[in-house]
Amino acid sequence: MSTNAGATSNKRWPTIRFNVNGEARRVKVPPMKRLLDVLREDLHLTGTKEGCGEGECGSCSVRLNGELVNSCLIPVMQAEGADIQTVEGLALDGKLHPLQEAFLCHGGAQCGICTPGMLMAAAQLLELNQHPAMPEIREALAGNLCRCTGFIRIFESVAAAVDAQSAGPATKLTTEQTHDAR
Amino acid sequence: MDEIAAAIGIDPVELRHRNFLHVGDTNATEQLMREPVILDQLLDRALKESDYHARRAQFARENPASAVKRGMGIAAFYHGSGFTGSGEVYLNSLAGIDVTRAGKVRVLVSNTEFGQGTNTILTQIAAEALGIGYADVAMAAPDTDVVPNSGPTVASRTSMVIGRIIERACSQLLALLREHAGLGATFTPDEFFAACERYRAVRGEVVSLCRYEAPPGIFWDDQRYHGEAYGAYAWAVYVAQIAVDTVTYSAEVENFWAVQEVGRVIHPVLAAGQIEGGIAQGVGFALYEKVVWQDGRMANNQMTNYIMPTAEDVPPIHVVFEEIPFQFGGFGAKGLGELPHDGPAPAILNAIRDATGVAFNSIPLLPEDLYAGFAAAQPAEETVVR
Repeated sequence: MSTNAGATSNKRWPTIRFNVNGEARRVKVPPMKRLLDVLREDLHLTGTKEGCGEGECGSCSVRLNGELVNSCLIPVMQAEGADIQTVEGLALDGKLHPLQEAFLCHGGAQCGICTPGMLMAAAQLLELNQHPAMPEIREALAGNLCRCTGFIRIFESVAAAVDAQSAGPATKLTTEQTHDAR
Repeated sequence: MDEIAAAIGIDPVELRHRNFLHVGDTNATEQLMREPVILDQLLDRALKESDYHARRAQFARENPASAVKRGMGIAAFYHGSGFTGSGEVYLNSLAGIDVTRAGKVRVLVSNTEFGQGTNTILTQIAAEALGIGYADVAMAAPDTDVVPNSGPTVASRTSMVIGRIIERACSQLLALLREHAGLGATFTPDEFFAACERYRAVRGEVVSLCRYEAPPGIFWDDQRYHGEAYGAYAWAVYVAQIAVDTVTYSAEVENFWAVQEVGRVIHPVLAAGQIEGGIAQGVGFALYEKVVWQDGRMANNQMTNYIMPTAEDVPPIHVVFEEIPFQFGGFGAKGLGELPHDGPAPAILNAIRDATGVAFNSIPLLPEDLYAGFAAAQPAEETVVR
């Protein structure tokens, strides 16, 4: 990106518009800048973590137009007009998402680098399947590597969030945002 | 162990029972086992939890007619807690607590939280030892401008060694508050913090630090590497159930049982998470994670070609703790962080041997390694791999 560095070339950068966690955002950045870096550096949404940086570990997972993507593999120009959800969009009004609650209670996080991606992968699963069985939970998280937990407690956390959801409609596991009311 | 058992015609379980260490025995460094050693009990529990004998019998029936060969393998092992030999004495760790004017106890350690639960556990220990609430205790940032040198965050030492120092520092503070600030025999958290302020008014800062004290009777000869190598050991028996596909030559861990004695378990959820995480790494160590060196560099330093276990690869892991509090560890704790890395590879290799009759003495066993091993072994008629 050195050819784009400096104030002169800055003027040539396009403005890219998209929604993040229900809020309209615009950035003026090199179009090939990774969505991961735009989220972290330009929008200061540092919840999304970089793991391998080559699309193998899932640590940087975000939801883009309802799909789970590795934000390290998305040039930001590809996000023009997109609806993006990051881990910061899970908790609503200071109240943790049921998945976050479950990860907290069941030891689903250790060092925490994989956790935002795991949460987004689990949120994506629950968006598509409100009652996943254990093999479906394992499959849905198979693109997200964790070196600390051995995954077992992550599976249990997701299963516990599913149970919490079954226990009452008040805790429906939606990832849709209410921020856009603002 | 299983090779020895086969060579002398003894069942692998029986061989282990006959050769386990017991209290009063000495180990390889001639350390006398003075603390309880319950390997027999751990093995029996692991066999029961895993239904070992019934599964082995089932696989012996099913294997001859199946391209997928299943087997069960055992590993019995121990791991020293804390630094080896004189290590903890040389470290001479200093740790403790202070009390802020805002009415918070701070734990002062250089041991660093990176997900293993140190902050939770040391907070639990301080709150319990002081008789105040968990929320009344905070961890000071492990900045050496603020905290004393309590040594590195390694060697399965924090709960046992540092936890014990924190426990002692808390008792020391209570004794000071009783002597100098009129703290009663029983007290509420409010009365505790009021006593801290009276103490501060008279004697200055409210701080209590303690140094490491080795358990009594420990002697280690650095020259001969002989004596009490560790103050305490964690003990375990792990059982792996393996399926070896004789068409693709891939091995899969289908089920795993982990029975261990790690002293008192301070936080069961975090402790089980440490064990499960270590076992997943052990599965990778045994079956996937092959470091390829080329001109002194790791040639496969990417996740595309250095394969670690994913959510689809870890087996169900059944974790069982037998608890025998260790009197010189923090609230009875011994170390457990490293322990679970020791058992998976030998248990998995023994299970592969049980499944196929072919013994391997190297890891990791990727399909090409299994193929090479089977091809070289030319197994006897009854263990032919199809």
